[in-house]
Amino acid sequence: MLLGIDVGGTHTDAVALDLSGPRVEVAASCKVPTKHDDLLSSVTEALRIILRDIDQSLIKQLNLSTTLSTNAIVEGRTEDVGLLVSAGPGIDPYNFQPCRDFHVLDGSIDHRGNEIKALPMRQAEKAIASCRKNGVRVFAAVGKFSTRNPRHENLIRRMVCQCTDEGACEGADFVTMGHEQGGALNFPRRVATSYFNCAVWRLYNGFATAVRRSLDDMGMSHVTVNMLKADGGTMPLEASRKIPVQSIFSGPAASVMGIIALCDIVHDSVILDIGGTTTDIAVFADGAPLVERDGISIGSHPTLVQALKVKSIGIGGDSAISVIGEEIRVGPHRLGPSVCQGGQRPTLTDALNCTGACALGNMEASKKAIADFAEKHSLSPEKLAETAVEYAARAIHKATRELVDEINSKPVYTIHELLEGKRVVPRKVYLMGGPAEAMKADLFKQFRLSTDVPSNYSVANAIGAALTRTTWELELFADTERHVLFIPSLSHRENIPTSYTEKDARKDAVNNLTIHLDKLGVFLKPEDAQITSSSSFNMVKGYDMVGRNIRVKCQVRPGVVRKIAS
Amino acid sequence: MLKAENTLGIIFFPAFDWSISPTHPEREERLLYTQDQLREEGIFDIEGIGEYKPGVAETEDIERVHFCFPETSSVVTRSHLVSAGGAIRAAELVMTGERRKSFALVRPPGHHAMKVVHGSRGFCTINIEAVMIEWIREHYGPKRVAIIDTDCHHGDGTQDVYWHDPDTLFISMHQDGRTLYPGTGFPQDLGGPAAMGRTLNIPLPPNTSDEGFLMALERIVMPILEDFKPDLIINSAGQDNHFTDPITNMNFSAQGYAALNEILQPDIAVLEGGYAIQGALPYVNLGICLAMAGVDYSQVREPDYSPEQWKQDARTTAYIEQLCEALPELYFTPPPFDGSEKSKQGIISGDWFIRHKDIYYDTDGISEAQIEMVYQCPHCRGLMKYETRSTNNPLCLGIEVPQGACRACKDLGYKMVEEAQIKGQYRYIQFINRRDKDYLRFGF
Repeated sequence: MLLGIDVGGTHTDAVALDLSGPRVEVAASCKVPTKHDDLLSSVTEALRIILRDIDQSLIKQLNLSTTLSTNAIVEGRTEDVGLLVSAGPGIDPYNFQPCRDFHVLDGSIDHRGNEIKALPMRQAEKAIASCRKNGVRVFAAVGKFSTRNPRHENLIRRMVCQCTDEGACEGADFVTMGHEQGGALNFPRRVATSYFNCAVWRLYNGFATAVRRSLDDMGMSHVTVNMLKADGGTMPLEASRKIPVQSIFSGPAASVMGIIALCDIVHDSVILDIGGTTTDIAVFADGAPLVERDGISIGSHPTLVQALKVKSIGIGGDSAISVIGEEIRVGPHRLGPSVCQGGQRPTLTDALNCTGACALGNMEASKKAIADFAEKHSLSPEKLAETAVEYAARAIHKATRELVDEINSKPVYTIHELLEGKRVVPRKVYLMGGPAEAMKADLFKQFRLSTDVPSNYSVANAIGAALTRTTWELELFADTERHVLFIPSLSHRENIPTSYTEKDARKDAVNNLTIHLDKLGVFLKPEDAQITSSSSFNMVKGYDMVGRNIRVKCQVRPGVVRKIAS
Repeated sequence: MLKAENTLGIIFFPAFDWSISPTHPEREERLLYTQDQLREEGIFDIEGIGEYKPGVAETEDIERVHFCFPETSSVVTRSHLVSAGGAIRAAELVMTGERRKSFALVRPPGHHAMKVVHGSRGFCTINIEAVMIEWIREHYGPKRVAIIDTDCHHGDGTQDVYWHDPDTLFISMHQDGRTLYPGTGFPQDLGGPAAMGRTLNIPLPPNTSDEGFLMALERIVMPILEDFKPDLIINSAGQDNHFTDPITNMNFSAQGYAALNEILQPDIAVLEGGYAIQGALPYVNLGICLAMAGVDYSQVREPDYSPEQWKQDARTTAYIEQLCEALPELYFTPPPFDGSEKSKQGIISGDWFIRHKDIYYDTDGISEAQIEMVYQCPHCRGLMKYETRSTNNPLCLGIEVPQGACRACKDLGYKMVEEAQIKGQYRYIQFINRRDKDYLRFGF
């Protein structure tokens, strides 16, 4: 039995899935309102409702997606971070300063990982002392080209934390090292990612501890807990404590994974998750979701956090209807719930109630609100409701077209490969979320494409969370002239012989990925690990070849453990 | 967040699968560290700077410029087409207004490729700047173009392509030809009879540093540009003047290159040479990108750079000062063209300008003997005729009706092609008619 919980902006959705039979069955599901000031209580409430009908000893795993870190950043409830960088020559690092306690140290490492200038210890000590004076307890150490040689970051960590292990000590509660945030080259993104990782660390860990404790209290100590990531994979709870930044923007990923679990997607497709406040649009190419090429931006800071490519627009069931001049509009603002649910302003859902597309809550209230609103603007109620629904469908269609155009004009990666020269031409539309069924006919009119609404569409995101499998990715960098192999995200370094080849590197990348996941308690079949890019360059000095520069990237492809028959 | 003052498009084509040989300076590794550096600096996250994929040039794009023998497909690889396609993409971004400026960071390079192509010389087969410029003129009409070639080697190919074109100003700053390949590029080379002064060479002495380069730029190049008033400024951006470059002897730095671009303000830059692939290219290319985009580059420097160490001596400065005095005159008041028998620049015989050229293709080991002829038309730039034979090909003919040619020159062109076919003394004939966009080949 697998549990999935998605803590969303409006509702917290939960499901329990029974995988014992030939078909995956939804054993229980529920929706509870999200309490933003106490997310844990939303989680435990959803758990209690689900567990009423289920033998909890059968539960093996809970996958959780939460807006906790995202909200903390949006609302500015983050912790002060001491950020020490070793940048060397290039663009002035002060351009990327995300926080007050930011110190640039004079060290320098080049693109091959050679130390050009040692880290000045006195300068580093002064910087750390200045952070301590400001009461800073979490630190980030980031070096340019640290993914080729993390020496300066390691030195900074040892100076901040006087202990040898990675636990908290008197010097600091937590230190983030830039190279562990991923092997991709991008110093400003590494700075931002490391900063945010520190800034939400305490809050996230408090939540993680509380979730674990609640499960223990409910007698579910045996349950494995995984957190969702924005790239459509999960990470084990214990591993996530060191990389909380990866939990940011994981909500849309749960929806996309839900659709993958519920439907057999083989063509280029559009996924529309119509929620209360927004509609999230995702695009699939050849049945696989598209990912952001470099990583998402948090606020105005681009980061290394991998994410599915999802576009959100301000149109959902609770979006208010307005009349401006001749035009009838829906959204982008949400002004309380729909009238049928006790709100004040008529919404898209109220309009759908009037056109007969759905029957939600207090139908009479919807009709009256629409009629009153129509009269105020000298319109017929039918016309108002129909035009509002049509407006919403047209806006969603337009935003989707723009997203597809953007994808086709820029190089984007699919989840596993570069789309070289391929154009995405959607042939199918999948709908989910509360108003999905009600909007189906109007969206079909706009898209003129086969439009599907899977059963269980209203909790598809929680189903997606429950079935999402653990993913990991790593980059391996080998330099046979310097006789060294380095995997930044694992801080793994070993010596290699001159004869080391690209083939050896591919094998080592897969092995290290498997071993690492094994340590986290995740069993990996060898075929689950994929090499996503691999190259080898001859390095020449004078006219002699002196070695090879080898780069290999390897990942467990995000996906679901089982499909659900819809 | 950083924002570019000028929007900049960067076209990156490292040709990771093309090389002349595994240990040749022009090999796969060449742009690897540049790519690493640009990515690590997060340059594509700067608002206003975008990365673009190159296009693939068509055979017609090549044959609009070059006479390729025996045929285009046998001298050009796919990488050359992508490299030229990258330059065309750079031009397209600027011409459509999508970006203010663009930089084609592509290889293989092209500025040693001449009008007639039998093979590869100086690592170049196709003149990607010329292909790009003629693509612009084909699609956007006649344009006055200035090409400033800052590669350490004389841009002899580009000079040859534009020798007779008064609408193209070609200025090459390079290490003195007496000390470096290809051994050409002296002040007396000023262009053909109708384009005297439109070619200008600035041979700089070995060990010229930032000071000397920028002095020549400010005192020779900039006043000429101001006078010429080009519609477009192209930088043929070779980066082998760097103090660490293994095959040259100059002392230019990344700061110097960035400053050069800040002063020159090219619309489009196209990468040429530059073989210090670890110590120079990553920093120089970064500096140029930032300078073109109008972003602060003051902290870009090579790890081992100290300005004091690479300062030029007083003799070098004095010599360059002399050049600054003498060279502008050659543009502003060029001497009359001497077409007599004793001239080394070619002779005028009847209505024709004629010169003989012996060209050695060092990369491919081919020798070519060529007769270049230009009809001295009082109404237009004049019909051009190339008779060429090489160790690779028997006698071949190239005829070109230039853009803006008069009716008579066009008719003469067709007549000469027809006669050449009937008489049959040429193995291959290529005809370029820029006036009517008619491109023909015979003999296959």
